[in-house]
Amino acid sequence: MTALLEIRDLHASVGDQPILKGINLTLNAGEVHAIMGPNGSGKSTMSYVLAGRDGYEVTGGDVLINGESVLEMSPDERARAGMFLAFQYPVELPGVGGMSFLRAAVNARRLEAGEEEVDQLAFVKMVRAKARDLGISDDMLKRAVNVGFSGGEKKRYEILQMALLEPVIAVLDETDSGLDVDALKIVSDGVNMLRSPERTMLVITHYQRLLNHIVPDYVHILADGRIRRSGGKELALEVEESGYAGIDDAA
Amino acid sequence: MPALMMQPDLSNLEVTGAVRTAALNSWRETGWPGPRAETWRYTRLDGVSNRQLTLATTLAPTADGGGVSAAVELGAHVLRIVDGIVDVASLDGLPLGLTCGMLADDQAAQDALAALAPENHPVSALSMAVMSCGLVLDVDGMVDRPLMLSFEGANDRVSAHPAVLVRMAPGARMVMAEWHQSSVGLSAPLIGLDIGANARLDFAKIQIEGGSTAHIAATGVRLHESAVLAGFSLSVGGELARLETHVTMAGSDADCQLSAIYLGRGQQHHDITTMLHHAVGHCKSDQVIRGVLDDRARGVYQGKVRVAEDAQKTDGQQMSRALLLSRKAEADAKPELEIYADDVICAHGATVGELDATQMFYLTSRGIPEAQARGMLIEAFLIDAIETVEHDGLGQMLRKVAEAWMSKTGIAEDRADHG
Repeated sequence: MTALLEIRDLHASVGDQPILKGINLTLNAGEVHAIMGPNGSGKSTMSYVLAGRDGYEVTGGDVLINGESVLEMSPDERARAGMFLAFQYPVELPGVGGMSFLRAAVNARRLEAGEEEVDQLAFVKMVRAKARDLGISDDMLKRAVNVGFSGGEKKRYEILQMALLEPVIAVLDETDSGLDVDALKIVSDGVNMLRSPERTMLVITHYQRLLNHIVPDYVHILADGRIRRSGGKELALEVEESGYAGIDDAA
Repeated sequence: MPALMMQPDLSNLEVTGAVRTAALNSWRETGWPGPRAETWRYTRLDGVSNRQLTLATTLAPTADGGGVSAAVELGAHVLRIVDGIVDVASLDGLPLGLTCGMLADDQAAQDALAALAPENHPVSALSMAVMSCGLVLDVDGMVDRPLMLSFEGANDRVSAHPAVLVRMAPGARMVMAEWHQSSVGLSAPLIGLDIGANARLDFAKIQIEGGSTAHIAATGVRLHESAVLAGFSLSVGGELARLETHVTMAGSDADCQLSAIYLGRGQQHHDITTMLHHAVGHCKSDQVIRGVLDDRARGVYQGKVRVAEDAQKTDGQQMSRALLLSRKAEADAKPELEIYADDVICAHGATVGELDATQMFYLTSRGIPEAQARGMLIEAFLIDAIETVEHDGLGQMLRKVAEAWMSKTGIAEDRADHG
């Protein structure tokens, strides 16, 4: 079976600064992997490199979706190939209406798959239904993308996009940051509803608490641009107890 | 430059009456502004003054211009001006509340237009003298349909000099559009808008001239007590375009909205120049200017707000933003406040920037193709200006022209590259 996402000896730099120093990860369908690591370990860089952001230069290794290298693909091509990144800091788009943004994204995916563009009325219905599960009000849907949203609202809006785009690979970058306990529960429930045998998820987090809600199959500890340890969900608890310092020593 | 060589060629021009004679003398004396003229620093006219241009003498038969079809959607009466010459047939069946007279026969109206016309502007003198057509539109009461002035013409040797005076009686209301879509060599309209007390004019100008046309417009506006101008200009065409508007707030509680968008590509040059003179107090003026420039296009915004000594409680706002899509595009802005009163709220500002890379990444990371994402951000950039337009029909018309501009280079939804 081909892995949905395979990261092979990935090296990447920002400017002249090497950040990722040889990452190997294989994510199979149905699996949820967590990446934990201290600040500056390269977690966010990894998410941007996977999504293909400008300025994050791959200096070695490869990233494969369904066995195909995506390094030459632009961010929009990667997204249409099934990659989704939930941003740590979702971007405000003043003047860009939320519904037309969501529709443009869904239609881009559908056209790629050779499907018809989504019917507008049916689309509004679908968005409202999924938004309700995430506690997103109609008023929020009508506003410009992320403009005037609270931190928690922005994160819920990321999960709404993920639900609409139905990616095969979902990368969640510090989705728990800035969330209070209630918001964390809503967001986690939203993510858990999207767990599926056809999908894989990479949950990037600094703290273990998110992993109480989104329980991973595998946990990897990232430090100084490398995976230092991998294990099951109990590894997250170990980090919670002894911190990252112990992990570093072990490496 | 000797007057005989100055363009356009006026050797066959016959001018009658004191106002036009004075205008012709003034034109012969000063001609086109040279490189040292301060208000023309960013917009050089060498390319205009070197053209070989003549005046049209007869009405050329033309196919309906873009203004005519836009008028259908707007439900407007179309007044056609071809090569600067009015199509008299289009004067039939004017909307109720609107009457049209001939400016050439009306010395008092000529005086009024001369008083409104931007001072020291070459077109104020030149087009007053030439007056290839001169119209006086008197507006009384509620005009029952919008009026579309469609400026057309296909001859690139022609210099077009229409002069139009619009006089709105107290309390009158009208919706009016100017649609400039020709391929004449020089399009130089002189327009005067005299808006009476409590009158309201909803106004949009579309400049969508052909690629080698120079469009140099002079517009003068006077607002009397509690008068409203809801005005907007969209400049997308031409090789060089200067839209200059001078407004005098002459009665208290007048309200002037004078926003504009310019969209340039290739080697186009767009210039929006405004002069808002608050002669009396308790008036409001607002200008939201947005420009988008691609390739080697250049954009200029010069906006002056002058507040007279006694014009207390003036509210004068202007904000200009330019978006550069190419490293070789250039935008210049010169906002100026000249305030002699002490109790006013005035603000101005100007920014020049590029598309935000983080916003682009966010959109494309959702699978939206890059060209489409750019189009979405450009539309979002323009929305503040477009939303100042209160009249639905005019707003839709402006949106359509802006969207057509975006779709032309595939900035908007163009999936051809992304199949």
